[in-house]
Amino acid sequence: MKRRMQRVAWALTLLGCLAGTHAGAASAQTRYSAAALYNLGNAYAREGKPGMAVVNYERARLLAPDDPDIEANLELVRRSVGVPIEASSRLERAFGTASPTVASWIGVMGLALVAAALISGRLRAPHRWAHRAALILGIAAIGVPVGNGVTLWPRLHEAIVIAGAAPVRVSPAPMGDALFTLKEAEAVRITGEHEGFFLVRTLPGRVGWVWHADLVPVVPRN
Amino acid sequence: MRRKSRTRTGDMSTLHVLRAGLIAGIVACLLAASAPAAAPVVEESIAPAQISIGESAQLRIKSSGSDVQPPALPVVPGLEFRVVEQLQGVEIIHGATLATTTTVVRVTPQVAGTFIIPQIAAKSQPLMLRVNPANVGGGPSVATPGISAGTGVGGGGIHMTEDGSAFVKLSADRREVYVGESVPIAIELGVRPGAVSSLNGLPALTGNDFTLNNLSRPPDRQETFIDGMPFVLLTWHTVLAPVKPGNFSLTVEVPLTVRLSTRPKREAQLEDQLGDPFMQRRFGATVKKDIKARSPPLDLAVSALPTEDQPPEFSGAVGTFKISSDISSAAAAAGDPLTLRMHVTGEGNFDRVDSTMLEHVEHWKTYPPTSSFKPSDAIGLKGEKIFEQPVVASIPGAQWLPAVTFAYFDPAARRYETVRTAPLSVTISPSAADTAPTAPKTASGIGVAGISLAALHPDRAAPGAFARSLMPLYLQPRFLALPTLLTLMLTWFRLRGRGDESFRAPLRDRRRSQAARRTLAQMEDAARAGDNARFFALARRTLQETLAVRWQMTPEQVTTEELDARLDRDEDGEEIRRLFALADEAEYAGQGLTGTDLSRWTHIVHRGTLERAP
Repeated sequence: MKRRMQRVAWALTLLGCLAGTHAGAASAQTRYSAAALYNLGNAYAREGKPGMAVVNYERARLLAPDDPDIEANLELVRRSVGVPIEASSRLERAFGTASPTVASWIGVMGLALVAAALISGRLRAPHRWAHRAALILGIAAIGVPVGNGVTLWPRLHEAIVIAGAAPVRVSPAPMGDALFTLKEAEAVRITGEHEGFFLVRTLPGRVGWVWHADLVPVVPRN
Repeated sequence: MRRKSRTRTGDMSTLHVLRAGLIAGIVACLLAASAPAAAPVVEESIAPAQISIGESAQLRIKSSGSDVQPPALPVVPGLEFRVVEQLQGVEIIHGATLATTTTVVRVTPQVAGTFIIPQIAAKSQPLMLRVNPANVGGGPSVATPGISAGTGVGGGGIHMTEDGSAFVKLSADRREVYVGESVPIAIELGVRPGAVSSLNGLPALTGNDFTLNNLSRPPDRQETFIDGMPFVLLTWHTVLAPVKPGNFSLTVEVPLTVRLSTRPKREAQLEDQLGDPFMQRRFGATVKKDIKARSPPLDLAVSALPTEDQPPEFSGAVGTFKISSDISSAAAAAGDPLTLRMHVTGEGNFDRVDSTMLEHVEHWKTYPPTSSFKPSDAIGLKGEKIFEQPVVASIPGAQWLPAVTFAYFDPAARRYETVRTAPLSVTISPSAADTAPTAPKTASGIGVAGISLAALHPDRAAPGAFARSLMPLYLQPRFLALPTLLTLMLTWFRLRGRGDESFRAPLRDRRRSQAARRTLAQMEDAARAGDNARFFALARRTLQETLAVRWQMTPEQVTTEELDARLDRDEDGEEIRRLFALADEAEYAGQGLTGTDLSRWTHIVHRGTLERAP
């Protein structure tokens, strides 16, 4: 029994060290702040660059999804330039309220809870109902980042038009025929990339190639 | 006597002369009266008024009256006149009927120049005929003496068909060329109107050693005479290019449908000489036949391009060319596509003019160029080929696009030439995405893009927490290591538990406890049913399994002897021994026991299995 407890303690220590390393690494390489991105979006909006303003608001919204100021200014800029706004579904609102970072840690905690419930059940815990409750709670917690990821996935592949009028071409070549033109601040979904061109799908479902300089992905591509 | 005689002789001579003169005068008057007088000429014309050496014009002289003698033909140095036929006709002028005779005269020039044909009719004007030198490229030697329709190979490079209805001629400026060099050629097809029913296709070269262009353009059309017979001459001007070296005999074939006369040959020839073959063949007996008119072979010597001193930029262009370049805009933002154009002008085979233009230029991204050709002549020998290459500057600042090099082989100079464009300067500004925002441009409530600045929610004072990436944490590989490690550890615990007694024992105890509960329930059922034998059998079996686990043996090995040897002599031990004994009795003797007894034994089994689990 003593050996078993020693093993569990060793495992928990390892997990703690790993989590501590993660937190330390994250704080050492910080780059994005929701407030800073929001302020940058405001600056671009005052500058008369709605495309770049929307890009920064969208980025800020990824870090702080429940911030009402970001939502308000994002909608204001989009309405000002006449860009269609995609209505969010009930599922998106439900899972989108939690920030991805919080959802991530909730998921890890859920996984740890499931693991602890399974292990303690093996070790003859006195209260079986507690095991089952912990198991259900852990699985529910794991579902939080999964649901968040499903609702957030399309936005992670979105890009915003920053050019005044971005021609959408039939082929990924500068001389290709233009199918139609995108307005500044319009959001498109990136579905492919080739030789400096993005294959995009608009909200109405039209598809074509856009020169990369005319778009800025919401999540920067490294 | 002599004098008298002499005088008589002189008188007789004078008389004879007078008599002869009188008779001659009478005869002459009679002959003049009986002979038909030459009819007055009323109209004369010549067509065409302009021909080339080797061709013929047609002089038509219309006279009044029927069955008249041909008029006296004029004499013009350098022109040959020959009566071809006479046509009878009737004209009604102001209600009066006038018989006319038209004499058709073929006029064949011997030399080039402008000729004045004196008037034949008193009231007409002199006719003018302009004769040009022979056609470029040999021209149709249609009037060359020696031509005879229907004899096969004619003179002057003409290959007449068997029935004399058509001929094809191929002529080229040069007979010694290089591989890939464009050679202007002329393909001439002469057809007799009425004798040739249809043209069934374009001229085609025999063999695959040459390429032929621009035959889809309509040919030049001209009417001419060959040996007094009218021909329509179709001429295609085009360019051929050899694809491999060697000595070749080029032949052109043209598919035709001709009308063959079914009359005897002599009769048909006579009709050809006297009248319009179109009308005769139209209304005469003819049959149609598909033939291929072939030109006489044209010898061409094709040399391979030299391999010595061939520039690395050479891509096959043969001719004489000049190049220049320009850019779509001298200023652009980083990331904006620009178009670099290279203009190749000159004379030669533009199909072989190709260029990759710029590749791997520092600070520039280049794309494969496209090309277009604008000919400046009818056959595409001269023109301009434009190469357009999209280029994109990657960094801002003053950038240079290097010179573009083009190499070609000059067949006239028999050497390779390399030409270069001038480098181009482009000013590149930072892209829109790289430009940081500055101060607001308007002080009013409405921003530059129509954004209501007053409605904007205010800025935040504090930057707040920072994140390493905009990608959610659960999608970052470093973070994903954490749940992965947790899962691995859990798996390790489970796998490890399979071989570890400390992990297996709790599970085994739980299963044994569950089994004991099920047995106790069955015992209670047996007690309620009054089945003593089954009750004690179940009780003994449960205790055997429990004790077997405790003593590390099989349940069958837990016998009464083992109980005596291992159990203490206390109250519990005695109870178990007693239960085993009662089980034996119930099994073999069927001893009757009360319900109270069964309840007590149930309690003993419960205590022995669940409460004192080993």
